[in-house]
Amino acid sequence: MVSVEVRGASKSFGTVKAVNKVSFKVEDGELFFLLGPSGCGKTTLLRLIAGFYKPDEGEVYLGDRLVNDVPPNKRNVGMVFQNYALWPHMTVYDNIVYGLRIKGVPVSQRIERAREILKVVKMEEYASRYPNQLSGGQQQRIALARALVVEPDVLLLDEPLSNLDAKLRLETRDEIKRIQRETKVTSIYVTHDQEEALSMADEVAIMNAGRIEQIGTPQEVHGHPASAFVASFLGNPNIFKGVVQDEEAEGVIALEWEYGGRVYANKGSSSVTKGQSVVCAIRPENITIYDSDPSLKGIYNHLEAKIQNLVYYGVMEQYSLQCAGGAVVKATIFNPSWHQRKVGDMVFLVFKPEDVLIYPA
Amino acid sequence: MLRELRLSLRQADRTAFVIFIALMGFFAVFLFIPILYIFIGAFFVEGSFTTYYFTLMFTDPVLFESLRNSLMIGVYSTILTSAIAVPLAFLMVRFEFPGKRFFQGFLLIPLVMPPFVGAIGMKQLFARYGSINLFLMKVGLMNEPFDWLGQGIPAIVILEALHLYPYLYLNIAAALANIDPTLEEQAQSMGATGFRLFRTVTFPLMLPGFLAGSIVTFVWAFTDLGTPLIFDYLPVLSRRIFSNVNNININPIGYAMTVLSLIVVVVAVTVARRYGSMRSYEMLGRGHITPRIRRIEKSDGGRSWWVVPVYVGLLLVVFLALVPQISVIITSVAKTWFFSILPQEYTLNYYYQAVTHPLTVSSVANSFIYSIGSTAFDLALGIVIAWLLARKTFPGKDILDSTVMLPLALPGIIIAFGYISVFSGTILNPLNNPIPLLILSYAVRRLPYTVRAAYAGFQQTSASLEEASQSVGASAFQTMIYITAPLIMANVLAGGIISFSSNMMEVSDSMVLAMTQPYYPITKAIYNLDLRLGDGPFIASALGILAMILTASCLLLANKLLGRSMGELFRA
Repeated sequence: MVSVEVRGASKSFGTVKAVNKVSFKVEDGELFFLLGPSGCGKTTLLRLIAGFYKPDEGEVYLGDRLVNDVPPNKRNVGMVFQNYALWPHMTVYDNIVYGLRIKGVPVSQRIERAREILKVVKMEEYASRYPNQLSGGQQQRIALARALVVEPDVLLLDEPLSNLDAKLRLETRDEIKRIQRETKVTSIYVTHDQEEALSMADEVAIMNAGRIEQIGTPQEVHGHPASAFVASFLGNPNIFKGVVQDEEAEGVIALEWEYGGRVYANKGSSSVTKGQSVVCAIRPENITIYDSDPSLKGIYNHLEAKIQNLVYYGVMEQYSLQCAGGAVVKATIFNPSWHQRKVGDMVFLVFKPEDVLIYPA
Repeated sequence: MLRELRLSLRQADRTAFVIFIALMGFFAVFLFIPILYIFIGAFFVEGSFTTYYFTLMFTDPVLFESLRNSLMIGVYSTILTSAIAVPLAFLMVRFEFPGKRFFQGFLLIPLVMPPFVGAIGMKQLFARYGSINLFLMKVGLMNEPFDWLGQGIPAIVILEALHLYPYLYLNIAAALANIDPTLEEQAQSMGATGFRLFRTVTFPLMLPGFLAGSIVTFVWAFTDLGTPLIFDYLPVLSRRIFSNVNNININPIGYAMTVLSLIVVVVAVTVARRYGSMRSYEMLGRGHITPRIRRIEKSDGGRSWWVVPVYVGLLLVVFLALVPQISVIITSVAKTWFFSILPQEYTLNYYYQAVTHPLTVSSVANSFIYSIGSTAFDLALGIVIAWLLARKTFPGKDILDSTVMLPLALPGIIIAFGYISVFSGTILNPLNNPIPLLILSYAVRRLPYTVRAAYAGFQQTSASLEEASQSVGASAFQTMIYITAPLIMANVLAGGIISFSSNMMEVSDSMVLAMTQPYYPITKAIYNLDLRLGDGPFIASALGILAMILTASCLLLANKLLGRSMGELFRA
């Protein structure tokens, strides 16, 4: 097992910069996620590490080895493809031992190792099937087994769950996590599904337009998004514009927000100055709804609002609320009481200054 | 600026670019320069520019008549072929009726025999004292024998149409099968039915397929050399060019005629493509399309009245399409067949002669050598080109694509003529030994088939299958052998078989380039035998039937390998 390091790598297609001066390091044995919307360059970055593309500039290291000029087959990097890429003319067994055959592993060992890996992915009885006789989830496991059986230094997974249905996706997610823990193989996993990334990752890199916006643990990136993009990509926050006024109390600043009135926000690590325009993000789940003015102590944001729309989901309730000045705010309530509110009811919205994330506009 | 240039060069695949340059070098020598030579020959006489010979084409009554006749053959053949193929394709794709599978096979029979072989049999039937006239006179419908073949153009057009309709039919059938049925259902729900539906929705959607097929028909009929040769009909461009091959160094009129044919073909192809691509719509991808298939039955389950005309029409087409074949078969087993409705006596002796006669034996051997050589060449080149087009990015990819496909629209006689003018007096001089040039000219002309077949194979094979192989440690070469090759094999083989069988029956290049008897391929041997009095036509027919059986087996095999997509190979 080795670490993976990318230093200042760029890759363009025509005039489009798919990957733009990206640097990061994945520690040995870590499960690292590249998360971002489609077209952000995450798959290109993965393919740079796999060796299917050569970086226009920058370096890729596997352990201490500079691999820029090493072809994919000499990198000892296993890959699981989005479409599984199982060879249709070979059985499951032949698919799995193909890499071993290429490496010249003797037949008896091949059989042994194929049996072992099929056991890991719980597919022992399917060895003689052809790929088209397997379900999507089963194909996914075989693709994983095929990549792992050659004992790669690094395992790359390119949206491995995107072709599965919702239920299977949850199961396979746990399965991949378990297998990664058991094999301790350094893994880089590409996805656009934030839930997948947050629930599985040791570390996540969030990508946008060819660049990495933030790297951190799931808690770090979700709790302290480093940019407005990260904040809006993780969760579906309310985004407003505002102008910094003065410091209200220790670490709390007042903002003149675009719909009139004031909003308080924790200054945190942001270095904003008075008069500066900012973007603020408030997550729907951080907004509490009261039927009457709760008159809380301390510095809180209070807004009176009319319920414009509400959708009941069982475990939660999503509100769309109209505030003074025309602002429309989204709010999510978990474990909604069965005393239902109605469209048109007047309510009070409360959110803490620490839940207002601010970024320079 | 410099940095950008370096970057864009780094982005391109250098290996691919080098191969591309090498390929373009090959095409320059064996495609572009020959064409250029024809132009030079037509417009530069004794070192100075002249349009004298070119204008002569329009002012000289004999030459102009040839041009007019060739155009007429091209246009009439296309019209007649369309009249057969459009209803046929519509019927075969859209309707279910008993015996459909039987007709599906029989309708393709003309593919297996070039029209000029059929012409030999047709002469037996339609000559002044051939079977038809003798029969008509015997039953008293005719007093004086009618000169059917002396009519020239109509006889040629009918024969061309009977040979060419399968190409058009396959194209239209493929286009029809691709039309999303919901488009027609939408129109129906808005009140369009019957012919109105066909005219306003169905036909416009299948138009690109129709144009692609009809342009093949036009180019073939316009430039066909074999049929006018056998019917001994002189005033057409292809024959005038053919008879001028031997004195191109004295009389540049051959060049002028070739240039004119080329211009007509290029204009026709360009117009058809422009018009076709303007009207080619991406069908909304719905994965699998279930074609609309109706049964020829009334709603109460009884047979509809028009099942009768359908069967009569189909049987008529099949019968007419088979007449040339049948007549050749009868000729091949007739001991003698002069001045009688049917042969007086039958024999298999001509088959024996066909496989033992020195001329036929050497011609069969030659055809095999030329065809195998050029097919091997096409397979190697075709796989490489298809791989470049399907898998690589490099500057000039579009140029390579259109260059490879160019010979589809380029008549054999033009390429052959160009080769003679370029390579006479060089080491490849066809007068000394035409084998290299024959193999190369076959290869250049059939290359589109293998490229298309292999390209389809690459397209059906996701690139990630190859990447998966590399990611578990296989080199590019191992990946090619273990993964790519097995997956594209069926397509490549089918393309190769189609190239091979059409090479075995190649006419124009062979007539022009194989100048001396030891180098004759089958087609030229058939032609020469047919000219011989006495047993000539009978041996020629027997040889033609043997070649037909070979071609038929090849096409059946290719069809099996390719499945339904075979029709797409014959598009221009």
